[in-house]
This record gives sequence, structure tokens and C-alpha cells, in this order.
Amino acid sequence: MNRSLTIALGIMLTVVLSMAGLVLIPNWQFREMQQHKDDDGNLWPVQLEGAEALGRAEYVSLGCIYCHTQQVRPPNYGADLDRGWGLRRAVPRDYLFDKPHLLGTMRTGPDLANIGARQPSRDWHMLHLYNPVITSPGSTMPPHRFLFERVAATDRAPERAIRLPDESGWILPSARAESLFAYLRSLDKSYDLPEAPQ
Amino acid sequence: MFLVYLVIWGFTLLAGASAVWALAWAVQTGQFRDFREGAASIFDDGEPVGRVTDAFPGEGTPR
Amino acid sequence: MTPSLAQPLPEGLPGDRLSRIQIDRSCRQTVVWYVVSAVAWLLAGSLLALLASIKMHSPGFLADADWLTFGRVRPAHLSTMIYGWGSMAGVGVLLWLQARLSRSRLPLPLLLPVTVVIWNLAVLYGTVRILQGASTGIEWLEFPVEVLAFIGFCMAVVIVASVLMFIRRQVKHTYVSQWYLFGAVLWFPFLYVLGVVLSEAGTVRGVAKAAANWWFAHNVLGLWFTPIGLATAYYMIPKVIGRPVHSYHLSLLGFWTLAIFYNWAGTHHLIGGPLPAWLVTVGIVGSMMMFIPVVTVAVNHHLTMVGHFHHLRTSPTLRFVVLAAMSYTVVSFQGSLTALRAVNEVSHFTHYTIAHAHLGVYAFFTMMMFGAVYYILPRLMNTEWHSARWIRIHFWTTSLGMAIYWLGLTWAGWWQGQLMNDPNVPFLAIVEYTKPWLHSRSLAGVVMTVGHLSFAWLVWNLVRQRGAALIGPTLLKRRKGA
Repeated sequence: MNRSLTIALGIMLTVVLSMAGLVLIPNWQFREMQQHKDDDGNLWPVQLEGAEALGRAEYVSLGCIYCHTQQVRPPNYGADLDRGWGLRRAVPRDYLFDKPHLLGTMRTGPDLANIGARQPSRDWHMLHLYNPVITSPGSTMPPHRFLFERVAATDRAPERAIRLPDESGWILPSARAESLFAYLRSLDKSYDLPEAPQ
Repeated sequence: MFLVYLVIWGFTLLAGASAVWALAWAVQTGQFRDFREGAASIFDDGEPVGRVTDAFPGEGTPR
Repeated sequence: MTPSLAQPLPEGLPGDRLSRIQIDRSCRQTVVWYVVSAVAWLLAGSLLALLASIKMHSPGFLADADWLTFGRVRPAHLSTMIYGWGSMAGVGVLLWLQARLSRSRLPLPLLLPVTVVIWNLAVLYGTVRILQGASTGIEWLEFPVEVLAFIGFCMAVVIVASVLMFIRRQVKHTYVSQWYLFGAVLWFPFLYVLGVVLSEAGTVRGVAKAAANWWFAHNVLGLWFTPIGLATAYYMIPKVIGRPVHSYHLSLLGFWTLAIFYNWAGTHHLIGGPLPAWLVTVGIVGSMMMFIPVVTVAVNHHLTMVGHFHHLRTSPTLRFVVLAAMSYTVVSFQGSLTALRAVNEVSHFTHYTIAHAHLGVYAFFTMMMFGAVYYILPRLMNTEWHSARWIRIHFWTTSLGMAIYWLGLTWAGWWQGQLMNDPNVPFLAIVEYTKPWLHSRSLAGVVMTVGHLSFAWLVWNLVRQRGAALIGPTLLKRRKGA
């Protein structure tokens, strides 16, 4: 009995040490990390609330992370900045409030860390979510028609609806689609941080 | 939060001390001796060294 | 006529052979239930895999319902394979191995079968919740938090059973496989509990959660699946060919260096990401140090097999186990090299990573479990596999399917990464480039699924005792009229 307890504790040591090293120590490094206040008194990064927070939950629920990242790599490492995916690299403070983190691991689609700055158009996002090939020919992103109501071509445009380019009617975004767009629109790390000059 | 850190670091130290003791035990009880005996410990009289113990079904008794 | 498992044993068997039969019989219900459950999840996971693969090149396929959207099917596939197929096959195999290694009966004959039922229900519940949109969003931890309680309970029972067998062991020496398995059963629940706690805890902030995520996921590979796989190889290769492991002290060194180094490699999933540079560097160093245990294991297995490779023609177990062990070496070398910043700059975020991941969980771990089941199940059911032809079909479809998979996605991923690092190439052009290779992955998936169906058919027939009877553990006798 004594021996098995000893071996067991030795085995546990190896994994406790790595957890301490890889998770607890960096977390301790971030213990003082706060939002940054710029010259105009704005706080960055912004803590999401309302529709943006709901949209973030929608992003998680639909599994967007499996094709999209949200991390801009440093200059001269990959071509993230050259592609216009951000004005500067991503740093830990950008993700201060993120739960769960949405860094992602695949770029079947482009990085979205700054998609709100790069593509602010509601029409574009709604059409793209409805059927990606409308805005992006050849795209393999799945259509999210279930987030919309299809309205046949009529004389009067329904409020908030987006016209389909082939003139076949309109799409009316659901509350889920509206919140998802609000979240995507909020993805913008153009603010300056002292640790990451642009 | 302090309590959580105390538990984790305390556990780490405890585990570390026992790892040292485990190594000492292994050396004392001869786990690092008799390597031939250790390697052969999975064999026995019924399935001795030299006897093949697997074959495709119906393709002869494994020899 | 099927020999009854309750009939008295033939007389005149030496004492230790009797003990092996008793050990195998004590494992029968629990291990067979775990393996059968695992195979059912293998089929479910293969269906989800095919759906996900087709959606990646034909996104309109079954896209009208949100519960079948790619972003939910993909984590459902991963979760059923990791927690359904992989972990349940792993538990069945590790319980039998530990019973054999300690030469004692499998304990807890009422509680262990109950864990099979609970584990199955937990995986089913978790998978349905993911498809309903309740995924946590943490890769490898997508099951809702409450699933932890159920799987945690099952693992607690498995730990108790493992400790009981270890305490009651009838052998003086602790074989190397036993070290690996003891490690696995202690590491996995610890990882799972901490993985969930660190993801949920408010005191772990921002990118520290990402570090926790990949500390968890990488360690599930390295401290749960890898030890079970290596323990299996260290037992099966010598047992099948009848020859002890070549260099036993090296195998012990391999265990402790794995335990120390593998742990630290997790942050190589975040190279170039918003983490402190030292954290990423530690992950790269840990990944490079893995050369030591990997070379140790490769040398050991190879030197054990030298002069005995001809047995690959005659032993199904050996085919799967040796192919799996070789894959372990290849995927580990690839992993260490992929952790280098220069390589990672190209491969990160591409299909290359997916190919690498499947080389590990499929070509290494899954093939190893196939080999183990081929050895273990006949000894539990006192029945031989009913068809050599189906075994061969299973072997060739899964190995060729995996080869097509890995070659296609590695090529696609490497060029995907090169093109992505050239800012003059429009993103949609990169997508176009990968499409034919994504089709080849679907083809590979179909071939592999044929193999899984063959395997399921074989297992189904075996548990219904449709094959020849085994009179003793190593004697095969064709039943009259069978």
C-alpha cells in the first residue's frame, strides 16, 4: 500500500508541475493586468455586453472557431499584417475578458480579430452569413440560412431586411443573426496599447 | 484565492518529496536490477519465451 | 455447439495456465462491454467524420438545419472519437492488461460494468448537447461541464480497480506496461478536472485560459492515449512473437522521460500567438526533448522485432500493433519538427495540422487498439475470429485510407500555409487550391469507414461466438461442423 501511494504521488508531481508552469505562472504574470485607458478616457479592450455578448455566445454555439482564428501574428512571422488582418500584432491584454478564449487553430477562413474594422457593412455580413458564395465566390463556409427568414420579392422592403443581389427577394435576419453581426462588428483591435505599437 | 495557491503549491512539494522517496524505493527493492528477469516477467510455463501466441483464424496453430 | 463458458475446465492444465484463464474470465463482462461500446462510438464518430469532411468541400450539404452545421458536427466528431471510441477502448484494454500484468482477477465485478453504462450515457448526452449548440467552445473540452461528473466517477472506479490489482499483484517485478498504465489512470482524471476548472474559473484570465486549454488537450494525447498505446505495444509485441523486450532498462527510462517532457509541450499549439514569449519557447523545448523517449521506444521495439518481421504475415495483432508503433515514432518526430518556429510559421492553422493530429490519434492510437482487441477478445470469449478475410479487409482499408488521408492533407496544408504567407495571393484562391485535396480526404474517410464496418462485423460475430472454439488460451481447434 505504501509503495503504490508513493508511485502515485510521483506520477502526480510531473503533471502538477507542468500545470503550474504553463498555466498558473503566466496567470500570475497577468494578475495586475487591467484595461488600458487612452488619452480620451476610453478603456481598452472593451468588455462586451448586450447584443455583442449574445453574439459572442452565438459564435461559440455555431462553432466558428473551427475555421476562423482571432490572433494576429507578429510582423515578419507569417503575413498576417501584410494581408491587412490588423494594424498590429495581438497581445495578451486584448483577450482580458475572453471566456471562453476564441483564439482558434484553423484558417480555413480568414482571421477575424479585426473583421469589424476591415468589413463594417451590415449588408455584407448578413448576405455572407446567409450564403457565403454571394459575397465570396468559391467560399466553402457553410450557409447559415437557418438564421434568416426568407421574404419573397414584394414592392415594399420589410424593415431591416437585406435585398438579395439576384433580385429574388429579401432576407430578414433573426435576433440571433443580429446579435452575431453586432459581435463581429465589435471585433476591432485598432486601439493602441503601450506594449504593442502599431 | 490564497488557499487555492497554497493547496496547489503544497501538493506540488508533497508530490516532489514522494517522487524522491519513490526513486529511493525503486533502487532499494531492486527494480533496476535483473533486467532480463523484468523483461521475461510477462511469460510463464504456459506461454514461454519462444512460443508465438497469435495467428489469423483457421491458419494453423501458432507455433 | 458453443462451448459454455460455465463448463468445467479441461483437466491436466498446469497451475499458471489455469490462472490466466481465470483472469481472462474475470475480465469478460467489463472489457467486452467497453470494447463493444467503443466500436459503436467508432461507427458513430465515422459517420460524423464523413459529414464534416463532405461539408468542408461541399458546404451546402445538409446545411439547412443548425444542429447539422459544420461548426457543430466537427466538435461532435472529435468528442465521440476521443471520449467514446478512444477512451472506452483504452479503458477496456488497460483493465485487461493490468489484470494480466498483476496476475490477479479484475476486481469490482458489479461496479465496473455500471461504469460502462454511465460512460455511454455521458458521451451520448454530451454529443447531443453539442449538436444542440451547447458546446463550451473549448477544443477537446466541448462536452458540457456536467459530463465531467459522470466520466470522473467512472475514472474514480477505474483508479480503485487499478490500485486494487496493483496491491494484490502476484508478481515480484513491475513490468514497464504497468508503469505506463498506472500513470495513465492517474493523469487522465486529474487533467480532465483541472481542464474544466481552469476553463471555468474567473481567476484564470484571458490567454491563460488558452494555455490551460492546450495544456489539457496536448496532455490528453501524451498522458492518456500515449501511455495506453505504448503499454499495449510493450506487452503485445513480445507476447505475440514470444521474445522479451530487447532493452528493458531503456524502456523504464523512456517512461520517466515521457512523464517529464511531454507535459511541457502543450503551448506549441500557440506559437506566434498572444502569449508571453517564454511560455511558447518552453513548449518548443519540451517538444524537442520528446526525441529522447521517442527514440528510446523506437529502438527498443525495432530491436525486439528484428529477425521476427515475418510474423507480420501471420499475426493480425502484430500487424496493427507494429504499424501503430511505427506511426508513433513518425508522428512524434513530425511533432517535434513542427514545433520549430520556422516550420510552424508555414504549417500553423492549416490542414497539415489536421493530418498530423490524425496520424497520432488514428495511425498510432486507434490502430494500436485494433491490434489489442484482436488479441484480447478471443481470450475473453473463448472463441476465435470468424473470418481471416474480413480481418485482412479491415487492415488494408484502414491503413491505405489513413495513408491517403495523411498524404493528401499534408501536401494541401503545406501549400496552404505557403500561400497564406504570401500576401499577394487572394484568400479565396487558397481555398480553391485546397478543394481537390479535401475531396481526397472524403475518399480516404469512406475507405476507412469500410474498415470500421468490417471491424464491427468481426466484433459482433465474435461476441456472439460464431467462430471456432478456443479450448485453451493458445490452442485453436476447429469445431466440428462450424
